[in-house]
Amino acid sequence: MLQLVLFNVTNGLIIGAFYVLMALGVAMILNLSNVINFAHGNFLALGGYFAFVLTPYIGFWGALVVAPPLVAVIGYLIERVMIRRVYSRDPVYSLLLTFGLAFILQDACRYIWGTTGLPLTVPASLSQGISSELFFITGYRLFMMAIVAIAVIGLFAFLRYTRMGVRIRAGTLDLDTVAALGINVRLLRSFNFAVGIYLAGLAGVLAGGQIGLNPNMGDDLLMPAFIAVIVGGVGSLTGTLLGGLLIGVASALTTVFFPSAQEAVIYVIMAVVVLIRPRGLMGEEGMLT
Amino acid sequence: MSTTTIETVLKAPTERRWLPAAIVWVVLLSAPLWLPLVGGYTALASHVLVMGLVAMALNFLLGFTGVMSFGHAAYFGLGVYGAGLTLRYISNSTLLALLFGILLGGLVGTVLGALIARRRGVYFAMVTIAFGQIFYYIAYSWNSFTGGYDGLRGFSRQPLHFGPLVIDIQNNGTLFYYFVLAVFAICIGLMAFLLASPFGRTLIAVRENQRRARFLGIAVDRHIWLSFSISCYFAAAAGALYALLNNFADPMSLHYSLSGEIVIMAVMGGMRSFWGPLVGAAVFVILQDYISSMTENWMSCIGLLFVLVVMFFPRGLLGVLQRRGSP
Amino acid sequence: MNMLEVRNATKTFGSLVAVNGVSLSVAAGELRAIIGPNGAGKTTFFNLITGFFPPTSGAILVEGQDITRLSAQERVKLGMARTFQITEIFPELTVHENVRIAVEVGSGFALRPWIGRDAAATVRRATEETLGLCGLESKAGRSVGELSHGDQRAAEIAMALALKPRLLLLDEPTAGMGEQETYQIAGLIRRLHKQSNYTIVLIEHDMRVVFNLADRITVLDQGALLADGTPQQISENPAVQAAYLGTAE
Repeated sequence: MLQLVLFNVTNGLIIGAFYVLMALGVAMILNLSNVINFAHGNFLALGGYFAFVLTPYIGFWGALVVAPPLVAVIGYLIERVMIRRVYSRDPVYSLLLTFGLAFILQDACRYIWGTTGLPLTVPASLSQGISSELFFITGYRLFMMAIVAIAVIGLFAFLRYTRMGVRIRAGTLDLDTVAALGINVRLLRSFNFAVGIYLAGLAGVLAGGQIGLNPNMGDDLLMPAFIAVIVGGVGSLTGTLLGGLLIGVASALTTVFFPSAQEAVIYVIMAVVVLIRPRGLMGEEGMLT
Repeated sequence: MSTTTIETVLKAPTERRWLPAAIVWVVLLSAPLWLPLVGGYTALASHVLVMGLVAMALNFLLGFTGVMSFGHAAYFGLGVYGAGLTLRYISNSTLLALLFGILLGGLVGTVLGALIARRRGVYFAMVTIAFGQIFYYIAYSWNSFTGGYDGLRGFSRQPLHFGPLVIDIQNNGTLFYYFVLAVFAICIGLMAFLLASPFGRTLIAVRENQRRARFLGIAVDRHIWLSFSISCYFAAAAGALYALLNNFADPMSLHYSLSGEIVIMAVMGGMRSFWGPLVGAAVFVILQDYISSMTENWMSCIGLLFVLVVMFFPRGLLGVLQRRGSP
Repeated sequence: MNMLEVRNATKTFGSLVAVNGVSLSVAAGELRAIIGPNGAGKTTFFNLITGFFPPTSGAILVEGQDITRLSAQERVKLGMARTFQITEIFPELTVHENVRIAVEVGSGFALRPWIGRDAAATVRRATEETLGLCGLESKAGRSVGELSHGDQRAAEIAMALALKPRLLLLDEPTAGMGEQETYQIAGLIRRLHKQSNYTIVLIEHDMRVVFNLADRITVLDQGALLADGTPQQISENPAVQAAYLGTAE
């Protein structure tokens, strides 16, 4: 029984870590640019596939370093060419745009790499269990958690201690004032978009090593990422972080006792939060109205 | 006909305000006559009507109240399952199935709408998506009742009985088309009637300027909630018809990707135009039917369509035809 | 009994005190101007009166009834109508439709899916009367978004009037206007006051407009009440001259 609980809690933390990576990217783009990125899960898949292509040449470690920035560059280009052109319009257009992009990216992955799942080979040193009782806690799982933790800490440090990061946070609160101070808001948004996509790409490489690659691999993470943002409170990245961990762990704990309600619990949490605290756990007053 | 009075709200550029409505009805009524000549078939026409109805229902909210729901597939899909489950488990009355489908989607929309209506802009959209997925998840997981991933089968629409008169919409596709058209006409008529009323004008006021609306004494949140609920009833009506059309309830009819398609139909046709979403639905459904038979990469084509509409035709097909500056 | 009474209204945003213990009473039929340098808290004070947000402390009464905790909509129902510094209208609709919606909402038809023939005729008559009062008959069929700044402002005032308010609040009605438009709007306000007997409270920058129209003037400075009196008293008040007229003009 203890083993079962541990097994599920480990699973939950890993799922929660993916929720967090996805949700932070979604939230960054939403907070600064008012765009809901439906294609976020597809950028995740792209990260996995890029790593798959790169691994034979530069190994898993090289791919882990190179693939996410490559995805970020693609995201940056897409933002420059398309998404930026609809910022000034009714938000319905940016939603439709990322929606269409999601279709195109998914189909492109399917066309290039096929519908059947592909494996992403991780170094043998990482794939062993740490002991025979705790065989499910592989080195790779611990490694994933560590990378996610580093990425999250890095992101928050970036937002707090770099000039660009501080500007992004300021823009989230009041973009007009930031623009009035002479800061290049277009560049800020492009860069912020790329950072959000980088996180998706990173999640894609990590997820690929765990569950393999397929064109829809990001889809199951998209809705939990949205819910993490809603639960955490729009406008607050700390809230998003908490929201992602909360629903990840809650769904894992539910798995122990009611395996069939694993996904339902996420929606229940969302409904309860929206009912009791409409602006989310850490949402700013007024962000929603 | 009340459908023409809506044009006073829409401020048609010409004096012939009845003309668009007249063209639409002539085309729809005569469809079974000319469709075979152009290579169409009646089931496709029924499909167009169903998607046209849900796109117009969405546009009641999107185009005439200025509120963006990206979760309307949920209420459409609840209509699908409401009708399907009724025929499968409760009764073999087609009309009862239609009614229960409408009630299921409409009532759920009314309840959830109360939670959602206080949100604005993209946050409203985000919450509507996430709430909508709840029902996809339920239909997907509740295998024994809804058929789960494979969808609900084992039901079919039944002939209509009016005393001694029996209308066989079960086997006669053309009769079924006219049945769909009749339900469509009632729904569209109701929508047009509401939009041309003082209540409808307050919705347009909310779309135009929420601050002004509030300081005229309009309870903005309540009006958004009402508009959302009304829109959900009509979306559910379309869903119920969809179940009757296919004799099948598919969990994908609850999925947010369908919500996106409904929005693109409305936008592609023209959000500011009453008939626009119907035109958008016709183009979309026919294109999808054609492309998916031509290429495996139909998803890219649909995705490209989204991108092209957003980048180059944001006002929609009917929007381009209208005078600039007129709604 | 006063039409409007504000007792010790205070509004703070965090550590910023935007309005600090301001009191005011406006008699029925009076035209009151509120003036003060930029940042004096005039618009915040206006927003407290109209229910845009609640005061931190203090009370607001209309005809003796305490409305401090009522929402903006409830205040509209009690006969309070306002315009905004930046014109708030329904830009894609015609002038006639803008005013008609206001008339219908003011008549309590906001939730009605249909109205009878008599009610519809009443609405039409009231709409046309209001358009006439504001000199907009000839522009009734045009999209309000296409009109000149002055006409848009007139349309916004017409929408406020369509609610049949007992108290009309105008936030900088001539802001950003040229000579001709200022003259047009000032003339309209004078007619509403003198001929139609509206009680009006307005914020205004243009001193010619203020001293020509107002029965009494309230001066705010740094969130606090500086002076309150007839135009004559205000123009002679040394504190006002020092704090405001001397520096602003």
